[in-house]
Amino acid sequence: MYKLLLSWRYLKTRFIALASIVSVTLGVATMIVVNSVMSGFSNEMKSRLHGILSDVEIRASGFNEITDVEHNVQIVKQVLADDLESVTCVVQVPGLLNFSFNEKQFSQPIMLIGIDDESFGDVCEFKPFLTNATNRSQVSFDLRENGYDESLGYAGWDYRREKEENRIAVHRMLGEPLPYDPMYLAQQAAEQAAITGQAEGQTHFVPLPDQVPDLNQLAADNEIMPGTELDRSVTGFSEHSKYMPHEPIFNPMEKQYTGLIMGMAIASRKVIDPEDESNIRDVYLVRPGDDVQLNLFTFGERPVPIAENFTVVDFYSSNMHEYDSSFCFVPLSKLQSLLGLINPSNASRSVTGIQIRLKEGADLDMARDRLSTMFPPEVYMWSIQTWQDTQRPLLSAVNMEVTILNILLFLIIAVAGFGILATFYMIVVEKTRDIGILKALGAPSSGVMSIFLNYGLSLGIVGTSVGITLGLLFVWNINEIAAMIEWMTGQEVFDQTIYYFSEIPTSIEPMMVVFVGLGAVAIAVLASVLPALRAARLHPVEALRYE
Amino acid sequence: MNSVHKLAEADNQLETSSAPALRVARNMAARVVGLTKSYRKNKVEVPVLKGVDLEIEEGKFTAIVGQSGSGKSTLLHLLGTLDSPDSGEVWYEGQRIDCLPARQREHIRNKQFGLIFQFYHLLPELTTLENVMIPRMVECGFFRFWKEKREFKQRAIELLDKVGLSHRLHHKPSQLSGGEMQRTAIARALISKPRLLLADEPTGNLDRQNGEIVMDTLMKLRQDEELTIVMVTHDDEIAESADHVVRLVDGRVA
Repeated sequence: MYKLLLSWRYLKTRFIALASIVSVTLGVATMIVVNSVMSGFSNEMKSRLHGILSDVEIRASGFNEITDVEHNVQIVKQVLADDLESVTCVVQVPGLLNFSFNEKQFSQPIMLIGIDDESFGDVCEFKPFLTNATNRSQVSFDLRENGYDESLGYAGWDYRREKEENRIAVHRMLGEPLPYDPMYLAQQAAEQAAITGQAEGQTHFVPLPDQVPDLNQLAADNEIMPGTELDRSVTGFSEHSKYMPHEPIFNPMEKQYTGLIMGMAIASRKVIDPEDESNIRDVYLVRPGDDVQLNLFTFGERPVPIAENFTVVDFYSSNMHEYDSSFCFVPLSKLQSLLGLINPSNASRSVTGIQIRLKEGADLDMARDRLSTMFPPEVYMWSIQTWQDTQRPLLSAVNMEVTILNILLFLIIAVAGFGILATFYMIVVEKTRDIGILKALGAPSSGVMSIFLNYGLSLGIVGTSVGITLGLLFVWNINEIAAMIEWMTGQEVFDQTIYYFSEIPTSIEPMMVVFVGLGAVAIAVLASVLPALRAARLHPVEALRYE
Repeated sequence: MNSVHKLAEADNQLETSSAPALRVARNMAARVVGLTKSYRKNKVEVPVLKGVDLEIEEGKFTAIVGQSGSGKSTLLHLLGTLDSPDSGEVWYEGQRIDCLPARQREHIRNKQFGLIFQFYHLLPELTTLENVMIPRMVECGFFRFWKEKREFKQRAIELLDKVGLSHRLHHKPSQLSGGEMQRTAIARALISKPRLLLADEPTGNLDRQNGEIVMDTLMKLRQDEELTIVMVTHDDEIAESADHVVRLVDGRVA
């Protein structure tokens, strides 16, 4: 009883001890904040890194193909058996993307992925990152009428039609009507009627060019050079095209090219408002509904450069800049035919990668090893990797950072422990006479010892719980705190354009909090053991005589 | 629980084993035989007690007088088991107590002896009432104290009333005068209803008037509580009022 009473009174009357516990409090709070933010970052990063990467991928290295796909997929299914959730095939090749923006041509290297819109979404986290609400539930490479995220602004068929109307109007004003201009078409039909009918004596003679260009070439040119401004170069041919009645005219008002889903960061740039630095907005170079051109090399012994038009139908925005700034998705079958991945003799198609999703909780590394033995690298030259293998350098760097930080922070708490030890030792010296009195009144050494152990324990608990509270409050309000620090110092704490995230991600792991708390309390108790032992060993007569 | 049982056993033993001893020396409360004690000071042994024999009669007031350094306080400490003798024996109610295990000595100190010191030795963090109850807290575990708290408190208040401090229950020692502190210490010494009161110059640090008050209080309580008192003192007047006077000269009874 007296142990509790005295520890409590010492706690109440000796604020110097509370000061010594402040270091424990701060250490605990820091550990909780740092761990929460780090694990928030790494969780978020892992989920984003994982995002488009399947659990396990079999990939033909370089510009090589996996032939006999169906057979190989069957093998994969047999090997993984119950662990397999779903599997899909992809063609992944580098390419060059061309499009025009403000009358200037933009070129950008990208990673083009041909996907099967049915099965790809089952294997990779793909659908949730699309900007069209309908596509999020059912991926399609057809341009949607509307339903795009409001942040995109004007997008979809409405946007495409309005853009084309403007272009038609501009070309009319320039006197160079577009081949699909309805007014021009009507006019031409009338002219045709006039020529064929010879209704009037006058003939409206339009001279043929000296040399008519190769029709096939023209058709191809016409198709690969869309876009408002590029067309102007084509307009030279537009006069001729009216003499090609059998060539179907591509009317962008009604038709689209093959759909392409583009990484958000390719299509947009983050711009900081110079007036208000906290306002970061996206400027779009391309929107769903615009046409772009892709330049690729075919597979085979003699790669041939090819160019193909695509219509952007949606954006892919995983907020993982590495992915958003390089990936474009097109239909697998279209890409296979473009790149010559269809064997002309038996029409079998090849791919460059097989992506596999495993059942929840399946061991990724084991699945990879099983596949590796089935497709030995000596024979196949395929790389078989889990998504963690693919991102190994980044993940292990993050893990090491967390470990080192934890060691350093725990050392801080250990240093705080020595502070407690010194303070407690002083208190024991100061209380020597009281200890003598207690012993004279019959208190056992263990009782005297437990006064100081209790004291250390309660200080540790107080310091740790305050630290945990502070830490958790900090974590819960971390974005507000970051904003306040920004406001006070004018210095940006969390630059959204650098990180993958729009706000600081946190994840509080209860076990981490428990461990940190127990560790800190244990340190406080351990630090009080030595002073408590000294108190217990005091001789009552000498302690009473102590001045 | 176990330790409590053992203590209770020790209590019983104390009472049963004291019976035949009492037959030999019917009215002896305590007895020391051939007590020697020396202190080590800078590697030099300083003998303090050089063979002290002493008998303390039950219910009597024994005063120990002598010059500074004659070993009065050491004798009292040995009698009170605060220290162990180099040689010799300390008997209390027919039981040799100097060689008992620490736990039992602590128990005897707590239950059978009341201790009063020259410098009061109250705990500065506690109030008067709490200081008085401290021996009870030391004796009982948390739950037993909680259960019997009312009883203990009543006894403490009763004692504080007897020493004239019923108006000072919730003051800290720093708010009390020397006399009041010593009277609080007396109440603390008596809370467990001890048989033997050991006082080490209780008036040594007080002025005459306060010293008299303290002595009057003690003498009054001696009757009420049926105490055997052993008091170390410098004061001849006090020594004269004692039943027995033991004079120590240079570590021996003169």
